[in-house]
Amino acid sequence: MSSTSTNAAHERPHPMDRRSLVDHARALDCIHCGLCLTTCPTYQLTGSETSSPRGRIHLMRAVAEGRAEPDATFEDEMNFCLVCRHCESVCPAGVEFGAMMEFSRGALLERKPPGLLARIARWVGFRGILVRRAGLRLAAVGLRSAQLLRLDVLAGPLLGLRGQIFRHLPRVPGARERRPLPPITPPEGAPRGTVLVLDGCVMPELFGRVNRAMTQVLAATGREVRSVPKHVCCGALHAHNGELDQAEALARTTIAQFNEVDDAAPVVIDSAGCGAHMKEYGRLLANDPEWRDRAATFSRRVVDLTEELAGPEGVERLRERLGDQHGIEGPVTWDDPCHLCHGQGVRDQPRQLLDLVPGLERVEMSGADSCCGSAGIYTVLRPEDSLDVLEPKLESLEQTGAATLVTANPGCHQQWQIGIGRSDKKVEVLHLAEVLERALRPR
Amino acid sequence: MGSDRKELSRRHVAELEDIVGKRGVRTDPTARSAYESDAFMLQRATAEVIVLPRTTAEAAAAVKVLREAGLVVVPRGAGTGLSGGARPVENGAILGTARMRDVLEVNAEDRYARVQAGVVNVHLTAACAGAGLFYGPDPSSQTACTIGGNVGNNSGGPHGFKYGSTNRHVLGLTMVDSDGEVIELGGPGPTADGTLDLLGPVIGSEGMLGLVTEVTVQLLPRPEKVETLLCLFESLDACCDAVSEMIARRLEPSAIEILDRLTIEAVEASVLRAGYPDHAEAVMLVEVEGGDEEVDATSADVIEVARAFGAFDTRRTTDPAERKRLWAGRKGAFGAMGRIAPDLYVADVVAPRTRLREIVSAATVACRERDLKLANVFHAGDGNLHPNISYDRRDADEVRRVLEAGRIIMEACVRAGGSLTGEHGIGLEKQDEMCLVFSDDDLAAMDQLRGAFDPSAFWNPGKMLPVRGCREVHTRPLPVEPSTEPTDAQAPGGSR
Repeated sequence: MSSTSTNAAHERPHPMDRRSLVDHARALDCIHCGLCLTTCPTYQLTGSETSSPRGRIHLMRAVAEGRAEPDATFEDEMNFCLVCRHCESVCPAGVEFGAMMEFSRGALLERKPPGLLARIARWVGFRGILVRRAGLRLAAVGLRSAQLLRLDVLAGPLLGLRGQIFRHLPRVPGARERRPLPPITPPEGAPRGTVLVLDGCVMPELFGRVNRAMTQVLAATGREVRSVPKHVCCGALHAHNGELDQAEALARTTIAQFNEVDDAAPVVIDSAGCGAHMKEYGRLLANDPEWRDRAATFSRRVVDLTEELAGPEGVERLRERLGDQHGIEGPVTWDDPCHLCHGQGVRDQPRQLLDLVPGLERVEMSGADSCCGSAGIYTVLRPEDSLDVLEPKLESLEQTGAATLVTANPGCHQQWQIGIGRSDKKVEVLHLAEVLERALRPR
Repeated sequence: MGSDRKELSRRHVAELEDIVGKRGVRTDPTARSAYESDAFMLQRATAEVIVLPRTTAEAAAAVKVLREAGLVVVPRGAGTGLSGGARPVENGAILGTARMRDVLEVNAEDRYARVQAGVVNVHLTAACAGAGLFYGPDPSSQTACTIGGNVGNNSGGPHGFKYGSTNRHVLGLTMVDSDGEVIELGGPGPTADGTLDLLGPVIGSEGMLGLVTEVTVQLLPRPEKVETLLCLFESLDACCDAVSEMIARRLEPSAIEILDRLTIEAVEASVLRAGYPDHAEAVMLVEVEGGDEEVDATSADVIEVARAFGAFDTRRTTDPAERKRLWAGRKGAFGAMGRIAPDLYVADVVAPRTRLREIVSAATVACRERDLKLANVFHAGDGNLHPNISYDRRDADEVRRVLEAGRIIMEACVRAGGSLTGEHGIGLEKQDEMCLVFSDDDLAAMDQLRGAFDPSAFWNPGKMLPVRGCREVHTRPLPVEPSTEPTDAQAPGGSR
């Protein structure tokens, strides 16, 4: 991602015409060296080079140059990919794999719309729920009712593996925890200026406590925290799943709504998938002369919560405020969300922040930077593959002996809860913001 | 493919799936096309089927089916090879080891490890790090390439200067022959039972004698101290001469690498940026290992020589994170060239270390005359040069010019008393050039050795040995000029 964010003003646009199915110019960056292979979760799973980043780029290029057909295998390989972007972290040629994959998925979807049922499900999901607060609330209330009535127990027998996943979804909290963030949270101590935060789509419904923890921690470091009440969805899930037009529209809306509240303050994100995507608005809108520059400028303001807090001033404030009364017993381990470490290149900051908390023992997990299989809605789309990808991670977690796993992305958070729930392990999953908030001492 | 193409019957596919599981067999053309080349992009072909066994037994059973189906077999590790050795052949299957990635045993007392052939080079070193041990050969692709592939190509790497190539580290091999029988060669302990030492012919045989499925390797104790030095030069020639002098003075660092300006720029623009200064025409990367005093003394000597030859800046570090960064840049150098053009031709020649400068200049002239972009990165300590030529395979004339330049570079090395390959193998790329080094009689002897292992030419046919006789290639072995260090470089397959 490094090159994409630093050169945001000169993003290479995707092809205007999606009929090509492939962002051919980007595919030419690949020199076929193969250094990406071992990082790829689907190559690890299958040993098949066709299911590796290099293999997929080969397929894309072959299709673009008319040497292969965009057949069922091609489509399946595009969808089998988790777009974790681990390959980008090791690619010496700087291939923008995630961007290529987004383009191809979008183009495939346009070329061959899915069946009626899938179309309805996608419409409900991407246009009915994710982008409307009312839709999200309705879905949350529905899921909560099902969980309260223990209907989720039936899901396993009725829906197979998908149902099992449903059973282990995080509990939807009560209405109090699902209330939106206050428009303004005042700073504590000497003020250090304003930041904007993203409430998000799924976050307030399932992880409202995380958003509130983020707000409190930011305020504790002297930031005035402003939310953007009108805003709902950044469009990351749309982009990753090929709904490109919708993703572009959501990017424009997001930029406009945030700028309305404040057009210069840093935009702080506690959800790695959203942050990585919002940092790339410049690329997403590179074909739109009216929005290109505004998008690039906006992208440069986006920071992950850990980047914001791990700055020298943030660390200094936190040092004063963090105590050992957090009640977190036993070792903790950090699991890098892919779109934080590979998508945004943020690796040291979260570890540094955990190490600031007095009385917290942090242990490293081997393969912490490999994908957990969540990958947005992949868990629902390909439940079997998703859990297969998680399997070795669960073994690594076991080896650390950690009692708490810390992450910073709702998808990963949920995936770990599903995996840990299914395996009857006793490991608590927390967002980094929650850990810091629990350790905050009253002033 | 020709008209006598062998179709794999549905029955054979079912049998293969029974042996290796559904995920281990890929038959549809789109999936197979991803295997059409390794990292050598100039020649492509499609395999009839991809088979990915998990164990030696599965591999042996698969061989019997493939043989019955009338196919031949190309062994493949991770497909990172740079000479086409793992490219499919006509009527051929790919038998890949990518799912054979278990470290079977690490014996810290006797200092050896036994691994499946598909274990990735760095994963082996990671598996024995806890015991304070490591595996010596460290090819630049070590984060992806497999131990089995390393055996096939007798791979080296920057530290080959001190530790030698794969053949110095392999104690034993398990392989599957063309009848689907399992053969054991050597083993962790000394073998004094009067049998032939067959490890030698197999290591570096580029998959032509059988499929290696398990490898026993010796492990080395981690040195007490490791220091990495970076010396910056205003000229590539001076940098080359400094290396020649270091060799002459009998300095023994564990690695001496050179990167030229174009390579530095590509690396520094990548995620692997190592902090190589962009104002240097050449960077020399040296690693020194051993006891405290030994390291200090050797490092001081290296710096003295570098300065005497005009190094304008030198840096040294023992910090593991910093060292890792410096090496990651070097090891990602090939891939980083993707920033310059869509394709890269990586030459792999060996020359006496007193004549580095001359070969670099021959490569420079050959590329300049043909309007080609050349970047140099090489294992200077070994005399193993990798002139890298950027090109676009869609430009047929450029491809022709690249191959021409490649051949001129090889000829220059052979004339200087060097060889065709240091560590990437002959594969498809340098087959015809074998005639520059060997006579028809030499090649016939090699073919006889191959026949002793594989009488029916079942394994990787059409690789390494020239398909046409040398008379047809119109080449005779080149006379080697007298050189100051005639024994320095070695023959193909046996070099570092």
